[in-house]
Amino acid sequence: MNQALRHELRDLALVAAGAIPGALLRWQLELVASASGGRLRAITGADLLANLLGCLLIGVLLAQPPRRTRLYLWGGIGFCGSLTTFSSWMLELVRGLDAGRPLQVLAVLAISLLGGLALVQVGYGLGRRLRP
Amino acid sequence: MEKSTAALLVALGAVPGAWLRFRVVNHWEPMLPRKHWGTFGVNVIAAFALGLVVGLEQSCNGTGQRLLLLIGTGFFGSFSTFSSFIGEVHAELRQRHWGEVLLLVAGSVLGGLLALKLGLLLGMES
Repeated sequence: MNQALRHELRDLALVAAGAIPGALLRWQLELVASASGGRLRAITGADLLANLLGCLLIGVLLAQPPRRTRLYLWGGIGFCGSLTTFSSWMLELVRGLDAGRPLQVLAVLAISLLGGLALVQVGYGLGRRLRP
Repeated sequence: MEKSTAALLVALGAVPGAWLRFRVVNHWEPMLPRKHWGTFGVNVIAAFALGLVVGLEQSCNGTGQRLLLLIGTGFFGSFSTFSSFIGEVHAELRQRHWGEVLLLVAGSVLGGLLALKLGLLLGMES
């Protein structure tokens, strides 16, 4: 097998090895969210927990030296990329708007964006201390 | 549905979703002035497609639970990403590119909402 193909396969394997646990964790968090009722449901919906956790972790990874490609393929592109989702977030917001709950939609939007940015910053700070 | 079947469907959808995102973002990176428009494109396409799948499932009287797990939760859930989007907004904020931050956030949110709604309407029509 030539070298380029071997590298290609290694990259794809690393992404897949991160994507499977990431997607399964998101799915489990979704089940927890839909089992919880009332006001908590509104906050935990839209994959908020998965998205915020992914932001914290991507912050840690972004603080690592750029030569750590394999770590980034597995943890960043694979795990964080699959743990977090944009499409389900949008689905939840559209459903909220269709149900006539614009304030709830705005709250989820603000918590996701501001919370996500804050957690990337926190993760980045933690990640700098973990640098080898 | 068995829990193990559901988990398998999610995982089976997640792997090609993550591979495609990895390839598409890497492909667009050198062509576009900034990397984050690759992630933006992936996310807006995923929002449209998820809307379409959910709309189609609704017009089939909600009998597509397995398909939703495979395609909705697995494939498009993994294909689209929130962590890269926020990571890229964070990078632009650090560089004080305020206009770019506004364009990326407003474009992603409004573009994503419109794309998803359009997909949903198309799916429910058929």
